[in-house]
Amino acid sequence: MSFLEYRVKFVPTGLRKVLHLNWPLIVLVTAVSAVGWLALYSIAGGRMDVWAGRQMQVFALGAVLMFIIAFVPIWFWRNMSLIAYVVSILLLLVVEFFGATGMGAQRWIDIGGFRLQPSEMAKVTLVMMLAAYYDWLDVKKTSRIFWVLIPVILTSVPTVLVLMQPNLGTALILLMIGGTVMLLAGVSWWYFAGVITAVGGTIWAVMASRGTDWQLLHDYQFRRIDTFLDPTSDPLGAGYNIIQAQIALGSGGWGGKGFMQGTQSRLNFLPEKHTDFIFTTLGEEFGFVGVLSLLVLYGLILLFCYVSAMQNKDRFSLLLILGIAANFFFYLAINLAMVMGLAPVVGIPLPFLSYGGSAMLVLLVAFGLIQSAHVHRPR
Amino acid sequence: MTRTPLRPLARILKARAQGENPDVIERENLRLRHEQQRDASRNRAEVRLLILGFAFFVAFSAIGARMGIVATTEAAEPRSFASGAEILAQRADITDRNGRVLATNMLTHALYAHPKDMVDPARVAGELAAIFPEMNAEDLTRRFTDGRSFMWLRKVLSPEQMQAVHDIGDPGLLFGPREMRLYPNGQLAAHVLGGTSFGAEGVHSAEVIGTAGVERALDARLRDPALSATPLELSIDLTVQAAVEEILDAGITMMNAKGGAAIIMDVRTGELLSLASLPAFDPNNRPNPVLPKDAEPGDSPLFNRAVQGVYELGSTFKIFTTAQAMELGLVGPDTMVDADAPMRWGRHLIKEFQGKNYGPLASVTDVIVKSSNVGTARLALQIGGLRQQAFLKSLGFFDATPVELTEAPGAKPLLPARWPDIVTITTSYGHGMSASPLHLATAYATIANGGITVKPTLVKQTGPRPGVRVMREDVAKESVMMLRKVVTEGTASLAEVPGYEVAGKTGTADKPKRTGGYYKDKVINTFASVFPASDPRYVVLVTLDEPVETSGTEPRRTAGWTAVPVAAEITRRIAPLLDIRPVVEAPPLDQLTAVRN
Repeated sequence: MSFLEYRVKFVPTGLRKVLHLNWPLIVLVTAVSAVGWLALYSIAGGRMDVWAGRQMQVFALGAVLMFIIAFVPIWFWRNMSLIAYVVSILLLLVVEFFGATGMGAQRWIDIGGFRLQPSEMAKVTLVMMLAAYYDWLDVKKTSRIFWVLIPVILTSVPTVLVLMQPNLGTALILLMIGGTVMLLAGVSWWYFAGVITAVGGTIWAVMASRGTDWQLLHDYQFRRIDTFLDPTSDPLGAGYNIIQAQIALGSGGWGGKGFMQGTQSRLNFLPEKHTDFIFTTLGEEFGFVGVLSLLVLYGLILLFCYVSAMQNKDRFSLLLILGIAANFFFYLAINLAMVMGLAPVVGIPLPFLSYGGSAMLVLLVAFGLIQSAHVHRPR
Repeated sequence: MTRTPLRPLARILKARAQGENPDVIERENLRLRHEQQRDASRNRAEVRLLILGFAFFVAFSAIGARMGIVATTEAAEPRSFASGAEILAQRADITDRNGRVLATNMLTHALYAHPKDMVDPARVAGELAAIFPEMNAEDLTRRFTDGRSFMWLRKVLSPEQMQAVHDIGDPGLLFGPREMRLYPNGQLAAHVLGGTSFGAEGVHSAEVIGTAGVERALDARLRDPALSATPLELSIDLTVQAAVEEILDAGITMMNAKGGAAIIMDVRTGELLSLASLPAFDPNNRPNPVLPKDAEPGDSPLFNRAVQGVYELGSTFKIFTTAQAMELGLVGPDTMVDADAPMRWGRHLIKEFQGKNYGPLASVTDVIVKSSNVGTARLALQIGGLRQQAFLKSLGFFDATPVELTEAPGAKPLLPARWPDIVTITTSYGHGMSASPLHLATAYATIANGGITVKPTLVKQTGPRPGVRVMREDVAKESVMMLRKVVTEGTASLAEVPGYEVAGKTGTADKPKRTGGYYKDKVINTFASVFPASDPRYVVLVTLDEPVETSGTEPRRTAGWTAVPVAAEITRRIAPLLDIRPVVEAPPLDQLTAVRN
């Protein structure tokens, strides 16, 4: 039982909820998605039917879902958290044992032509679960070791399952979301300091052992780490995408080559140009100015989420909004850093832009939850 | 924090008394509690929210800044650095002892087809047949259209051919990168290098494996990823090898021989500076000759006469007999031995060359200088068969040579099944037992090395390797001096190269028929020499297969007329290359002319 339930009388009801939606957020999300349609239209060589059309259909479906979710009171979703979490874990297990394989990893379940990616779903259900957990938990117990262990386990289960697919990028994001929600819920700094020290120390020990007698990894494993961290050292293999992406971005310059004029992305120099590396197409065609505008749009989405969370006095809603925002932010930051050569290449799509049904639907559902939290916030 | 108990009975009763709803009070209590909780957690959370917001901001700034940097840089074509090149050099280079490349890798392309993607299979087949003479248009058309989805067309393309295939412009024709082994010197040192072929083949790469020679014998070393950047340094000296092959080739032509082999070996380290066998082949395009049924294996150009050719080496063996006799203290260089020819042993008659007689008594030195079969036989009988076998074994004549060539272990010496006295006699002058020229060169190197065995090797050494002493140093020295006299006074007078003190022994052996017995007019001529005699450094060995020297009135088939002049020419050419200074004797005083400026 949360404080929310006692203030329902101040919450708008029925169609009046439309007026209380966080409209700027909806407009921003639609705007970013529209940029994605343009990019997909351009990459396909001016054809709607290849990617852009389908992406718009998925967006329409997602938008409907978003509104439905927004209209359902947030406490219903809080009560659904545990069920949603368990279902997503079960789906991950199903994928593990019966799933189809794509790009060397087991990632989706085929349901009548629709490919469901439970790892995408798990990101949202994990946020819901942790937010519900901290809403339920007595604040004073937050930093006690037993009550810290529970969310750690809740985070680890989907992380390990996703890692087994294997999908390193999503697993890392799951870990980071879990950490962010725990941080916001008020878990003591000492835990974070301890974990960071332990992880950093392990990495240091492994790297320092290189070339010594007590070397912890094989030479070829170290070489793989080298290539992972600095893909440009292998320009025809692991570094090919990165280098082509940077050529595309660099050739865009300040003003870009103009819509539908991007040669690097349209002449197939870039693999994954319509999914993970879609940003390069925008960079090439719209230049620095265009890309910066896109960054501003993304920044505004995060800002509105942030403000909405600050206004919200309900603990579940606050954690949920910020958890989803953090999820969104990690997607964005990792993808952009990867495309620009600031981070290693891991398969992470750009939210609302990259072609892909599962990610888009899940994001819109998540934003539906944010809307619901916003509409039904205690006033 | 003091907590208000839930449903405090007192307040509920009081509320009831006042007609209020106790549930409202309970709700009020809960609300207060939650607000307290919330306030506490908010206070903590606000700092963290700020940190999170700050993290968002920093990340956005970093990405924006990076975007600016990327947008303003000039686009540059990526260059392949170290690890990119590493992928290509999957097999280490081979160089000679001075770092000159003998074998390296070259990137070419293989051609394959996806017939189902072809726009016009008939046209493609026609154009391919025009580019590659070995392809047949009708055959290709049939295979392109029989429903297969993949087929190989060619393993290696030249750049011109690749361009021509590109120009056909059909999407069903595809190229896969292929790393090819390249031998820039063509036929030079072909038998040493051997060759390579493709192992497991895929569209994106193919395994290169050694098929013969050093490439196969040291395949594991050449393919070791850790050593792929370090070239394999052979003991071969490319300049010496080139000179030796040129002279040997000319010698084979002049002496009307079928083929020949030459070996240059460092007597201290056992390094082979040159190992030549002619006729040779091009390892870039290793042939697969089909030999007629009655041909000998030696007729194939792939046959390495120096290592695989197991011949009766003739009189060159005599020096081992005299050396052992001296080692055992039976004789000295000047001891007179019975050399009265012909010598009868049981049913056998031991004769000298052309029925000569060097007896009745000859010094041990003369036995060698004049190449007396009878004298050697007498010495061998004194030594005895068992000791003779032990000595020859210690010189390496009973085992295959340990040189780093795939062919070496298969070339075992042919030994008589039993060793009665007659075998002791014939073996003493090099008949009845067969070994390769490399065996002989190794044994001569042991004598020249002062009696310490050397191991023949094709890999560059940093210094002498430990060997076993098989004869006293003075015996080895005396033996070399005897060999020197063979050149100054005996059968190998044409071997003299002024200033280089060549010492050596000739050997002529009749070629065995496959059906048994010996050919009358087919011989193997061998000249094994060391120089300079006063401080031996190198063994020079030349073997000619079926030579005939025809400049005189009648054909001459002895080594002194065929192998010896070839060896002399080789010594003349390579001695300066090997940094050996000629010893020039001062002319007698009466031939000097005093000049005053």
